[in-house]
Amino acid sequence: MTRFAGFGSNRVRAVALVADQGPAVGLIVLIILTWTVFGVINGSFVSSFNLFGIGQLAARDAVLGLAQAALVVMGRMNLALGSVGAICVSLLGYMLVSADISLPLTLVVVAAAGVIASVIMGVVELRSGLSSFIVTLAFASAYGGGALLVSRSANFQINNSALNALGSGTFLSAAICPLVVVALICGGVTWVIYNRTSFGWKSLAIGANERAARASGVNAGSVLLGAYALSGLLAALAAVMESSYELSVNASVGSDWLLPSFVAVVLGGVTLTGGDITIGGILLAAVFFDSLQSGLTILNVSSYWLNLAEGLVLLVAVIADQARRNRRGRLRRSRAVVAVEVTRV
Amino acid sequence: MNGLLRARWAPLLAATIVLGIVMGAVTRSFGTAFNVYVILQTAALDTVIGLSQMVVLAAGDLSLAVGGLAAMCTIIIGYLFQVHHWPAGLAVLAGLVLGTAGGFVNGAIIARTRLSGFIVTLATGTAFTGIAYGISGSAAYSDVPSSVVKLSQGRTSFFPYLMVLSLAVTVLMYAGLRWLPDGRLILAFGGNRDATMLSGLSSRRAQVTAHTVSGLLAGVAAVMYMGTIGTATPAAGGDWLIVSFAVPIIGGTALAGGEASAFGALVAAVVLSAISDALIVLNVNTNAVEMAEGLLILAAVLASRLGEAAQRRTALHRAFGWRA
Repeated sequence: MTRFAGFGSNRVRAVALVADQGPAVGLIVLIILTWTVFGVINGSFVSSFNLFGIGQLAARDAVLGLAQAALVVMGRMNLALGSVGAICVSLLGYMLVSADISLPLTLVVVAAAGVIASVIMGVVELRSGLSSFIVTLAFASAYGGGALLVSRSANFQINNSALNALGSGTFLSAAICPLVVVALICGGVTWVIYNRTSFGWKSLAIGANERAARASGVNAGSVLLGAYALSGLLAALAAVMESSYELSVNASVGSDWLLPSFVAVVLGGVTLTGGDITIGGILLAAVFFDSLQSGLTILNVSSYWLNLAEGLVLLVAVIADQARRNRRGRLRRSRAVVAVEVTRV
Repeated sequence: MNGLLRARWAPLLAATIVLGIVMGAVTRSFGTAFNVYVILQTAALDTVIGLSQMVVLAAGDLSLAVGGLAAMCTIIIGYLFQVHHWPAGLAVLAGLVLGTAGGFVNGAIIARTRLSGFIVTLATGTAFTGIAYGISGSAAYSDVPSSVVKLSQGRTSFFPYLMVLSLAVTVLMYAGLRWLPDGRLILAFGGNRDATMLSGLSSRRAQVTAHTVSGLLAGVAAVMYMGTIGTATPAAGGDWLIVSFAVPIIGGTALAGGEASAFGALVAAVVLSAISDALIVLNVNTNAVEMAEGLLILAAVLASRLGEAAQRRTALHRAFGWRA
């Protein structure tokens, strides 16, 4: 877990780092448990076909989680992820299918559209001083309606060999979707951003304590715009990923992104009020969430009950996370005393 | 009269009346009694949806579960009435009780865990929707109590009977927040949590009450919607999220909590409904309506922000005797 911990001694930070791997370890246990239980009940759960499907969905959900996390670490949220995705999908479909433009150029334009649409929200938030909740809620409606309006709700059948190979081809083994690699690369890049760049550290600092960060000379405005840009870029990527494996896409893609994006963030152990991020946790949370869904589907649980399961998973996750935090808060306080003693010696 | 003019929603109402007159003059179908009935019927439903959100906003919280609660209520009523042949009154009552219970669960979880209402209601709202889809198997119940349908679709000339219900709910909400101890508690808690708790008032009670009332109103809205469209579908409430925020916010309720305007919500619902109807009459794509709603929310919050800044300036001028 990357957490803005101020400028304490390295020893205190090292102790905190080891203790903070809690969510990731717990998730690995949960995933092993899920795979074992579902695998024993029904062998087809661990078939390469099913694992491929889980990877496909989990890759998209992991990228959505990272997109949401870019703002959550700053104590914000992005309710317009899906609508930005809708804009990107319509644009992708129009350029690739209707206008027959080459894939690289299309991808660049789609990425730019995601970034611009997202940064506009950031500018509005900065200029108005309104909360990100209401700004992104309003834009979710405006962008979503706008995308459907401009695209005339057209369905696009994406027949691009490179893109389809990415979404439906295989990588190394028949069980691994190339999108998994894309998600892992995203995870690696965001890890570097939040651990090794000043933008990442400033984001975390603003999320931990915005007033203190501003007082220390952090230009909160430009960092916020950067976070919106990152979130928009990742939303665009998720849109491309979804277009790569769906038979046909339209501007309603993204209407169901809100829940998985928050499940990945919360289950992954990211604090909703900001200040920390666990990249590994987000990736693992997406895998667990989609394994559970796939398992329930294989158990013949009607897809109509899946919503209930999804909601309950999120509810249990937030409550468990809260309990863990309370426990750790007590632990941290007692450990802080020890750490102070150690540094004195 | 002076107070009426100074109300936040007064310019909004004026704009709508102007819009109505212009639209009535330009198009033939907008000013007809039937069209006005359609506008007011939608507005009646939107008012209750908005009030369901407003009571939670007043407590400084928010609920993403209004739509989910409504879906669950609708399906329970349809299920009990069509499959188990419960009497209409009892089935509707069961739906309302379930909605209230769902709201209570939201409030209880939020108050106990001190989590944000956003994440809790995102989870429970999805779960409630899941229950609705699970019970109904995604199908709609076409057999709906005829009394509910008659009430929901009844009208005298341009005035829908549903509007009477909405007016009653609005007045009750206004009076409850203004005069009932629990209403004052909700507003106090929304205005300043710490001060409320330091005054020895129960913060749990404020949160639980607000969410419980919200659940009841989501149930009422579900019944109204069911009667209006004549079937009980699990898709009810699926697209209520934006409306539930647009109505109170455009009506002048602060997102930060501590204040609420029930009549503002009623006016905002009429405005929204008139605008979307005007767009439809003008043959604009319905997706433009969704877009317009988002932009209107943004305009409303920006306007209220400007208003607050102006108020602060005048307050400063008064306090220090500066000239404006």
